[in-house]
Amino acid sequence: MTDAALARGPVVERRRGEGWTAAALITPASIFVAFCLLAPIAILFRFSLNEFVPSKKLMVEALTVANYVKFFTDPYYTTILATTVRIAVLVTAVCLVLGFPLAYVVARTQSRFKHLLIISIVLPLFVGNAVRAAGWMTVFGNKGFFNATLMGLGVIDQPLEIMFTEKAVVIGIIAVNLPFMVLSLQSVIEGIDRSVEEAAFSLGAPPATMFRRVLWPLALPGVLAGTILTFVLAMNAYATPFLLGGPLFKMMAPLVYNQFTQQSNWPFGGAIAFILMTVTLGLTLMANVIIQRRAAR
Amino acid sequence: MRHLRRWALNGAAAVALGYILMPLVFVVWLAFFRQEIPSFPPDGYSLKWFAAILDQRKFVDGFRNSLQVGVLATAIGLALGVPAALCLARRPFRLRTPVASLLLMPLIVPGVVLGTSMYVFHVELENGLDVDVLGTFYALVAGHIVIVIPWVVRLVTASLAGLDRATEEAAQNLGANPWVTFWRITVPAIRPGIVAGALFGFVTSFGNLEMSLFLVGPGRTTLPIVILQYLEWKIDPTIAAVSVVQIVLIGGAMLITDRYVKLARVV
Repeated sequence: MTDAALARGPVVERRRGEGWTAAALITPASIFVAFCLLAPIAILFRFSLNEFVPSKKLMVEALTVANYVKFFTDPYYTTILATTVRIAVLVTAVCLVLGFPLAYVVARTQSRFKHLLIISIVLPLFVGNAVRAAGWMTVFGNKGFFNATLMGLGVIDQPLEIMFTEKAVVIGIIAVNLPFMVLSLQSVIEGIDRSVEEAAFSLGAPPATMFRRVLWPLALPGVLAGTILTFVLAMNAYATPFLLGGPLFKMMAPLVYNQFTQQSNWPFGGAIAFILMTVTLGLTLMANVIIQRRAAR
Repeated sequence: MRHLRRWALNGAAAVALGYILMPLVFVVWLAFFRQEIPSFPPDGYSLKWFAAILDQRKFVDGFRNSLQVGVLATAIGLALGVPAALCLARRPFRLRTPVASLLLMPLIVPGVVLGTSMYVFHVELENGLDVDVLGTFYALVAGHIVIVIPWVVRLVTASLAGLDRATEEAAQNLGANPWVTFWRITVPAIRPGIVAGALFGFVTSFGNLEMSLFLVGPGRTTLPIVILQYLEWKIDPTIAAVSVVQIVLIGGAMLITDRYVKLARVV
């Protein structure tokens, strides 16, 4: 994904009167986003410091970190956070391993049908998570494709329980996030000059060495972008755990939703939302530093 | 040996692509089943479920709502985002980096945080101003504009970066005012970026689930939410047929867009 143009910055020198034009161009969008996004987030954060009276389902103005303390002292909630992080890490690792070959093939192909290949990777992204969950429900159900095939072949007598387990959720989220990983990697690999790979080969490097010493270091920005995107999306997954995990399986995003709609507990729901965002951001930054330090060595 | 490696690489890529497409393949397959229960192998095939969609008002209404919200949010998102992109790509100013991050921020804020914070904000506005905000059509559109803007800004900025400033200066030297220059020179040149931004913005809005869940009012549910709520109770060929319609529409939109602007270059 290309944000290079945004990072590089403007190329023109300032002329008289242009300041006002610039202000007229950028102000409406900035004010709109500030009003509709920053203000709500600030208010939610303020509310997360309020108190909640469960008996009356009422929020009381206060300035306390009790909601945050409640989350981290109750094993029920910390388990949910741990499950979410574990699943997100697993999903990200699998996406990287599965996504790299596909990204490489798409980036290097000379085929006329390259655009169809790209469309078939992007299309599932745009079709929505609920529709894709419906596909997995068809596969995993007791009479679904997977069980029916295995029973038909005589491998098993009883249908395997896959729906409403962690397995189904992990398989579902991997499929949701894989296109993001592939697109992030592909855009970076496309920018790597093919001749550096050939140079490594002609100097006698076996493919594994070429990958480790040439392709991987050069593709690292894409690897970082892809893992971050995948990890953030997996941490915040809602529809997939909701539909494939069933009512007893809990991840963070459905928990936030539940606090707001079922419990009407805005302060605690807000606190969970901020914990989710902070943990995600913190782990992302940590991974960033570790990977970059490894690469520098 | 070289051939073997080539096969292994292509094989691994095919596995990943198959994995990505598998849920869609099964949804499409299920839509043509004759029996209602999704059991394999199917008893036979039928087209009747596509007709059944029209009998269920909620799908038709949800589709119409999603379309209205998506079109309006995309139009306003373009009106706000294209000028902002012009400014970010062309005019130097001190607050450039923070403003750029602000406009791209909706891409990285999780959907559930967007939804909860806007929900709380709408309730507060409603109490403060004494007008209906929460669950109204325009409040939902406002939320969707926020997630359309970053796509427009990002894709239009990218296409402006590849544009030679000399053509515009030539037009101005020949006496065209800035307005004429913008419409006759700049807009045609960045059309691919605008088309791509509009497409991605629309599709993001049309498919949005997590944020919209908090913002829709009774009777104004969007299609992804209708699908989610239906799937919570059961999976059957009717919902699969609805999904097929959505897949065909979005796939068609992407194929058409691809003719104007190569998707490979914008994603």
